[in-house]
Amino acid sequence: MAADIMYTIHFYVLFVLSTLRCSSSFIGNGENYRRNLSLELNPGLNSLLTPLPPGVGLLHVRALGKNNTLHYLLCSQGAPALLLVHTNSTSSKVKVDWPAFLVQNTTGSLKLTPESSVLYSNALVFTRLWEYDDVNDTAVPEHLPPSSFFQPYELQNFTWDDLNKTLDPMAHTALLCGRGASESFSNGSLCLKFSAFDVEGRDQGWPSLLHNANSSQLRVVLDGVVPRSNRSRFSLELQVVGGTQAMSRVDVLQSIDDEYTPSIFKVSQWVSSPVNSTSPVLGYAQWKPVAYRRPSPLFEDATPCRHSTPVPVAQLPPSGLVRAYFGGERQTTGLNMTFSITGDPFYNTTNYLSWTVLVGLGSPPVDSFSPLVLVIMAVGLGTPMLIILLGGVCVCVRKNRPQPQVYEPIN
Amino acid sequence: MAEERQKLLDEEGGISSSDPRNESGPVKPMSALCDPRQLLHRIFVLLFMCFLGFGSYFCYDNPAALQTQVIQISETKQCVVFGVLSALTRNWLIRTSIGHEAQHIHVHAALCLVLLAQRGALFPGGLPARQGLWNQVIVAVGALLDLFWLMEIGRFVFGIGGESLAVAQNTYAVNWFKGKELNLVFGLQLSMARLGSTVNMNIMGSVYNRVADLVGLTGHTTLGVSLMIAGATCIFSLVCALVLGYLDKRAERILNKEQGGTGEVIKLTDVKDFPFPLWLIFIICVGYYVAIFPFIGLGQVFFIEKFNFSPAEARAINSIVYIISAPASPVLGFMVDRIGKNVIWVLCAVVTTLIAHMMLAFTFWNPWIAMSLLGLSYSLLACALWPMVAFVVPEHQLGTAYGFMQSIQNLGLALISMAAGSILDNKGYLFLEVFFSACVCLALIAVVMLYFVDCLRGGDLNLSASARAKLLKCSNSDSE
Repeated sequence: MAADIMYTIHFYVLFVLSTLRCSSSFIGNGENYRRNLSLELNPGLNSLLTPLPPGVGLLHVRALGKNNTLHYLLCSQGAPALLLVHTNSTSSKVKVDWPAFLVQNTTGSLKLTPESSVLYSNALVFTRLWEYDDVNDTAVPEHLPPSSFFQPYELQNFTWDDLNKTLDPMAHTALLCGRGASESFSNGSLCLKFSAFDVEGRDQGWPSLLHNANSSQLRVVLDGVVPRSNRSRFSLELQVVGGTQAMSRVDVLQSIDDEYTPSIFKVSQWVSSPVNSTSPVLGYAQWKPVAYRRPSPLFEDATPCRHSTPVPVAQLPPSGLVRAYFGGERQTTGLNMTFSITGDPFYNTTNYLSWTVLVGLGSPPVDSFSPLVLVIMAVGLGTPMLIILLGGVCVCVRKNRPQPQVYEPIN
Repeated sequence: MAEERQKLLDEEGGISSSDPRNESGPVKPMSALCDPRQLLHRIFVLLFMCFLGFGSYFCYDNPAALQTQVIQISETKQCVVFGVLSALTRNWLIRTSIGHEAQHIHVHAALCLVLLAQRGALFPGGLPARQGLWNQVIVAVGALLDLFWLMEIGRFVFGIGGESLAVAQNTYAVNWFKGKELNLVFGLQLSMARLGSTVNMNIMGSVYNRVADLVGLTGHTTLGVSLMIAGATCIFSLVCALVLGYLDKRAERILNKEQGGTGEVIKLTDVKDFPFPLWLIFIICVGYYVAIFPFIGLGQVFFIEKFNFSPAEARAINSIVYIISAPASPVLGFMVDRIGKNVIWVLCAVVTTLIAHMMLAFTFWNPWIAMSLLGLSYSLLACALWPMVAFVVPEHQLGTAYGFMQSIQNLGLALISMAAGSILDNKGYLFLEVFFSACVCLALIAVVMLYFVDCLRGGDLNLSASARAKLLKCSNSDSE
């Protein structure tokens, strides 16, 4: 009997421990590899020989893995672009022919050597910022007449700040801020906050996207821009230039877990994968369909955002980096991110909008439950079962014990 | 000789057959409707009890139905309104002390208190503000004069009155129906309360809009007038209370009940003498209800965001719990009456609720299923749990026990409502659902412990209906 009880307790304890261990590995320690990050600004530039025009900068982040390297290149010449190149050697380098690069009409002025080691390359370009007058508060710009749209802000014509001042080598981040020529940007700016990661983790501020060593994050912040009408809403145009495969579709996945982005239960992934859907995903841009209206947002500062279906674009985006690296005929796809939905406050309530996108290699990271949730469920469900076991045992023991006689026989 | 013996026998038989307790005169034959011992009369009393609850809950939920309008005139944030109103209306200390007064003799004292306060409405500015109709008037006046603090005072006073009314109602129910149809009666009371809430939710909005059309502007005036109209239901419940008071007095006179003469004193310190199973019942009550009411309060946006419902659909699914509980409570109460074994039914209800919450948290399955399960288990728990208090506690402590139970339930609801709001703001809906599941797990732990404690102590909480009837008959014959 005692042996039975001990066996049951032993089994239960083992079960709980193994669940916790499985869950902790499920949390994502499986992808626990690191990369060594190094940042450099304007690689190979001799500034005396070729002086840089103001507002142009090229940031190169080298993420060194065991036997491969991931190169990120962020450039502010033309439309701001983030280029991702994956090579299978640990000694690949970036070579820039600066005079040709600055002229912006030569393909091959930016190369990765050895060229044969390049496995995958992909560039995300921010081309235009659309502003429209949402008279009926529908937040569906596709259904509005062209007269509701203001002249879009062409990001290739923005003047960008010096990357050198905003570079943070320790945190592996950089802030690229720019403003247009018009008066709307007199006190405001469009900023791209770039972060590279060497290990798996999660950002602090919302939307707290889960990142791993194969990904980097771009946060687009529209701050202080004067809207051109009282009912203005914004829409951001993105274009992607692919290597071999175009990023042709956006998958919207449902997720149970909204711990890190309260009330958002979806994840959108713009993936490049071969037409055959069983092949693995080569590269992605992942985001949660939410934008925030304040720098330190509260629950009510979240505003949903939508994307349009990706469509092929006839020519390359107007980015110096893309023209220098890709050149020629490459597949370009573009989509529009529209912020806010019907009923939400307009941009002029807070004059702030931020949206975050994760760009990376391979399959997009998958969110999982936090340890706290798992522990609560384990304890909450386990304790009653334990009590049932113990109680059942006590009742059985009590029943099996011979009942003492109440009345003693006289003789 | 034989005739004398026969006459003596007849006299003896006559003395024992005629009601020895009716000293006021010979027994009149009464119609079934008027005889307190007959089922039909009890049903008649039940009718008034139900409508008493209807009026009270109708007025109670008014600020919730007119939430947006209240927020507009008060300019406070949603969670503050939610939390402040809940916290202020649930003054547990006051309710406990009134609870211990609401014994079956002193239930009249509570009712008289309510009636006195309501009569005070006829003397404007004279008598101090008390409960019932007067507090609804306070709230309405506060809205008319655009004084939010006056509305809050009115709600506070309503809390005093409304909840003591609930305690008195519970004790009344046990008084009239113990050992007979107690589960069914609790079920019906729950139905009527929910019906009052639902009717309120559905029509107050249109009442407000009609008044706005008449008066010509929205704002505090319209709110005040709407609340005054709602106050009419308080008059209705006042009338029911008067009738109930009269019927109870009459029954006491006819049956000449002796319960008052047990000689046991009623004290507030009875609380420390409550048996351990009763504390477990309190924990079940708190753990369960904090996972239902705050969830329904915050549920509409959850369904819109997670399951992509439209606002109208989300409102519908949110109210399905109450809509199901209205017809289901009497049916389930009747079933529990016939079958007995209350603890097993409570266990079923808690497990079903846990399953429903986990379904909503961890899956995308159709939420109508989970919400229907929630409605059924909510009804089942109300029918099976509240009568158990009557089995565990001696009769002179019953009012105190119910008062205490309502107290800590409402204290728990107030605290957890505020906690739920802040959890949602910081951690999202999944964590909130996990939190509610944890509360239900706490109730589950308490139920399981209650079952085993009762089993091991040889208690009688989990008896089947026939066994309990036998027990009652034995104890009745013992006392004679």
